[in-house]
Amino acid sequence: MSVVFDIMLLVFLIVTALAVARAKDLLGAAILFSSYSLMMCLLWQHRGAPDVAMTEAAVGAGITTVLFLVAIGRTTRREK
Amino acid sequence: MKKAFVAALLIVTAIPLLIGVVALPPHGDPDTPVHTHISARYLEEGREEAGADNIVTGVLLNYRGLDTAGEVTVIFTALMAGLAVLISHKKQPEGDATYDAAEAAAEDAPVRAPVSPVVSFVVRLLAPFIALFAVYVIVNGHVTPGGGFQGGAILGALFIALTIVLGRERTRTLMPRLAQPWMQGAALLTFVGVGIVGGALTGHFLGYPAQASLHLARELMMLVLEAGIGLGGAAVFATLFLQMEAE
Repeated sequence: MSVVFDIMLLVFLIVTALAVARAKDLLGAAILFSSYSLMMCLLWQHRGAPDVAMTEAAVGAGITTVLFLVAIGRTTRREK
Repeated sequence: MKKAFVAALLIVTAIPLLIGVVALPPHGDPDTPVHTHISARYLEEGREEAGADNIVTGVLLNYRGLDTAGEVTVIFTALMAGLAVLISHKKQPEGDATYDAAEAAAEDAPVRAPVSPVVSFVVRLLAPFIALFAVYVIVNGHVTPGGGFQGGAILGALFIALTIVLGRERTRTLMPRLAQPWMQGAALLTFVGVGIVGGALTGHFLGYPAQASLHLARELMMLVLEAGIGLGGAAVFATLFLQMEAE
């Protein structure tokens, strides 16, 4: 069960990572990256590193997403 | 041609890395050096020696305190570099009045689209609880998972959310201009301060007194360090956001 959950998280992690790399819409990429961080956070927690999971949730899924959105707001939304 | 070159380069890089992964000991193998030397000592003696139930905090602030001080320096330097890049891109009449220019520009900026009432209500409703949780994470870092970095990130996120919902005029009082440099450097300053106190007590920079009678002093030093890291981390995130948003 635990292994199945781990594999599901890892598959989703890789899928979101590839989707971020391929996305032309930067807003979508930022949101996808936030979900990547969420998966990463669950993985940390599942591997027994709650300290890192908390940081990942607050910084990865929260603050960097906001900073990305601010940066997109000041530049352009589409990748040239 | 270019794609083939990139693919070849990636494969050439990947092969040694994959060989390295294969050569790693199995995950969780108890016989690897890292588990037979240091980890065992940390896990067995850490609670007594470092004075922290949460062994991660014990390693972070006590055994590897100097590394954490370096890490804090890196974060502070990264903030300074980020600010230097952001500020140099701003058009401004005077040379050095950067903060004033940024804030004046922010006040002149056109009114942004209003925040959704749902988001606004939820952020206002949750703000005190998030703040309390952040302080709990910081103060309780030596017992439960968490600590200065985690709590600081939560505090920074709260500040950003409040600034988005309420506007920067309302949250300015949380980070007054005079206090800004001190808050941004809080982590570094507390490390230096606590390091000197530890030096006075033990003779080593950032040393923790080992005597049982000085248990309280040791706890206090860790608490001050956690609080400093938390405040500094929150200020770093908040400053980055404010500077990126200002124009």
